[in-house]
Amino acid sequence: MTQWRGEREARDARIAAGRAHADGKVVPADAVVDLLEAVLRPGDRVCLEGDNQKQADCLARGLAACDPGKVHDLHMVQSGIVLPEHLDVFETGIAKRLDYSYSGPQGARIAKMLYGGQIQLGAVHTYLELFARYFVDLTPNVALIAGVSADRDGNLYTGPNTEDTPTVVEATAFKNGVVIAQVNQIVDTVPRVDIPGDRIDFVVEADTPFYVEPLFTRDPAAMTETQILIAMMAIKGIYSEYGIRRLNHGIGFGTAAIELLLPTYGEKLGLKGQICTHWALNPHPTLIPAIESGWVQQVHCFGSEVGMDRYIRARPDIFFTGADGSLRSNRAFCQTAGLYACDMFIGATLQIDLMGHSSTITQSRVAGFGGAPNMGSDPHGRRHPSDPWMKAGREGQIVGDPALMRGRKLVVQLVETFGEKLVPTFVEKLDALELAKKIGLELAPVMIYADDVTHIVTEEGIANLLLCRDADEREQAIRGVAGYTDVGRGRDRAKVEELRARGVIRRPEDLGIEPLDADRALLAAKSIKDLVHWSGGLYEPPAKFRNW
Amino acid sequence: MAGAHAASTDPDALSWYEATARQRVVALADPGSFQEFLPPTERRMSPHLPLFDLPRAFDDGIVVGRAALDGKPVLVAAQEGRFMGGAFGEIHGAKLVGLLRAALTLKPAAVLILFDTGGVRLQEANAGETAIAETMRAIVDVRAAGIPVIGLIGGRAGCYGGGGLIAGTCSRLAVSEGGRISVSGPEVIETNKGAEEFDSRDRALVWRTMGGKHRRLIGGADAFCTDSVSAFREAALDLIGRAPAFDLATLEAEQARLESRIARFGDCRDATEIWARLGVNDSEAVPAMDTRAFDETVSRVREADHDAR
Repeated sequence: MTQWRGEREARDARIAAGRAHADGKVVPADAVVDLLEAVLRPGDRVCLEGDNQKQADCLARGLAACDPGKVHDLHMVQSGIVLPEHLDVFETGIAKRLDYSYSGPQGARIAKMLYGGQIQLGAVHTYLELFARYFVDLTPNVALIAGVSADRDGNLYTGPNTEDTPTVVEATAFKNGVVIAQVNQIVDTVPRVDIPGDRIDFVVEADTPFYVEPLFTRDPAAMTETQILIAMMAIKGIYSEYGIRRLNHGIGFGTAAIELLLPTYGEKLGLKGQICTHWALNPHPTLIPAIESGWVQQVHCFGSEVGMDRYIRARPDIFFTGADGSLRSNRAFCQTAGLYACDMFIGATLQIDLMGHSSTITQSRVAGFGGAPNMGSDPHGRRHPSDPWMKAGREGQIVGDPALMRGRKLVVQLVETFGEKLVPTFVEKLDALELAKKIGLELAPVMIYADDVTHIVTEEGIANLLLCRDADEREQAIRGVAGYTDVGRGRDRAKVEELRARGVIRRPEDLGIEPLDADRALLAAKSIKDLVHWSGGLYEPPAKFRNW
Repeated sequence: MAGAHAASTDPDALSWYEATARQRVVALADPGSFQEFLPPTERRMSPHLPLFDLPRAFDDGIVVGRAALDGKPVLVAAQEGRFMGGAFGEIHGAKLVGLLRAALTLKPAAVLILFDTGGVRLQEANAGETAIAETMRAIVDVRAAGIPVIGLIGGRAGCYGGGGLIAGTCSRLAVSEGGRISVSGPEVIETNKGAEEFDSRDRALVWRTMGGKHRRLIGGADAFCTDSVSAFREAALDLIGRAPAFDLATLEAEQARLESRIARFGDCRDATEIWARLGVNDSEAVPAMDTRAFDETVSRVREADHDAR
């Protein structure tokens, strides 16, 4: 006889087992291990909420402390491998298989464990890809999530870092899974309901507030004149020329410099209102001067940023906020916004090859992808026109009926020719290829594929790859902005000058930019303290960024 | 000179923290009065750095010369924090020592030292350490000759290591909020004593412990300036006018001041405790105070001003 309710009955049994350690839905922090051992079954698919920013750290410590005799061979499906416990569980045998997106701080250890065979890797995904698979073939049996507070019925307030939580809960709770939330405190009434209580089975009052890393704070004091020069070129040669209003920025210093130049250099160029009005972006502190100067109309966020809560609450016209006043972020929706509703992605990378493939992988680190490959790709499912999208489309195609041409998303790489410790950014061959061979990956971990990249900006100039008509032109355009790296010195001078004459390569002087004008005096804020002043005292930077 | 092109040279607008050593000197002195000794064109560079395949600077990271300040002749030395963290090497130190010794013959109204240094350059540590000792000896001679030596501290590198020792021998010090004065740097303390003792990444802690406001409140510095060149100029003029005599009474007063300081505050675990004992009402609010509010707070603290040093 066909069994139609097997999963549902298993779920009921897990919850019944868990109730032994709970008072209603509420579980004390010291009973976490008992709860997890009661609810989990060997081989379960488990999402241990590790997001880009917030971490279900109390539940992570609990999982790592489980008895591998009872809880073993789990298949972890989570976007972020961030905490040491996320990998400890693979060393003890509690977990066996892994599908994930991003492993920034654990990149070196994950590479070692993959190489040593301690982790069976499914794949490294972009955020949207992994979220998509939650609903198709990687649906969690158990989700361990994090929020700021909950009531005794399980109604959950995530706080400003909503991030992945709604997506994880949606996939788990509606497909016979069990959802366990850790919260900083149990309250009578939550400030707002981010996740309704009937989707949460257990609530753990954590011993300490969950951990959030300030990933998106760039200290203006550390910005260099080279970064400022590159930012000036990007504003004048790309933002202004294409009229980019809807965009996403990466997290590097180059894009932070652009944010700080809008109220000064951008103002001087008369671009206010013409560019940078609508954003898919985390609440970058360096965007405060542009917001305060009236450049920005609205910002939708993937997550929040430590110290920005009061500022965001005071600017509901700009940010998406709940009835309680605090930010509501959502990674899945913001990634979708970045993919379909933005005309440009601009970010940095560690290596670019002669074709324009780029990667943030070095020989000993697997940092994962996060959202950049999604933001930094040309969405073929897009159908609505916009001026920048159409202009880029025209530049990229030379034949055919204009009514049948699709536009192009601008995907811009903003790099210095030499990175930290004078390591060249431009290379003949990406380290990612070597790493893929070493640890047996079927696909080399490429962050942004060459055919998605439209522009590369360095201190030597802008290469517009849309205007290149064959592979040789493309290679010379890249060499032509690669400075004194080996790749740059290997250029064909005559060809590069020809490309420059055609406007494929543009130098600062071609854009009317005097490199000596690239001065820190142009930054709207030169320090974190300046950002605090711009915010009217509302921005509260974490201690590691203060110098007062 | 990168940066000079677009940067403001208006002393009211020029940030001390942001400015290069040469920008500071030029904007600090009376307009057009600065004359550099051993300028970059002389190519007095470190003989040691090439051994380590490290780039050299034509001035070895220090600018020295003579200038006028409000019409009075002064000698000036300015460390360039952007070159090797303003660290003391052989040539760098020799230029400073030479300038101080010249003061004995030139008899200026004061010698100004614009500190911006992490201490001794590791690649030429012996020469650097020697330079620190020679500098302190030279300062003593200059002060004994009745010429005040004024230290100005507000650069990115702070005033650390041997620089902190030299600052301790100056007649008077002016500091801005961003300026830091100490001997061992935050990372050094953390490495030796552990992050529980001193978390070098907690920058609020670093500034509470070593920053300009703390140094001013406990009398380690004698003037507190906003971060502009004109504020440092005003402070320098003021401090030249009220530099203590260099005699036995001053040194005994300094010894007594330091002994009572350790007795009163030696058991404090955090600068905020010290400020509370000094009588600051809301010690938690000190870091966020603007200059005016901070000046008022200082004016109520007895220990901030003294005749010692």
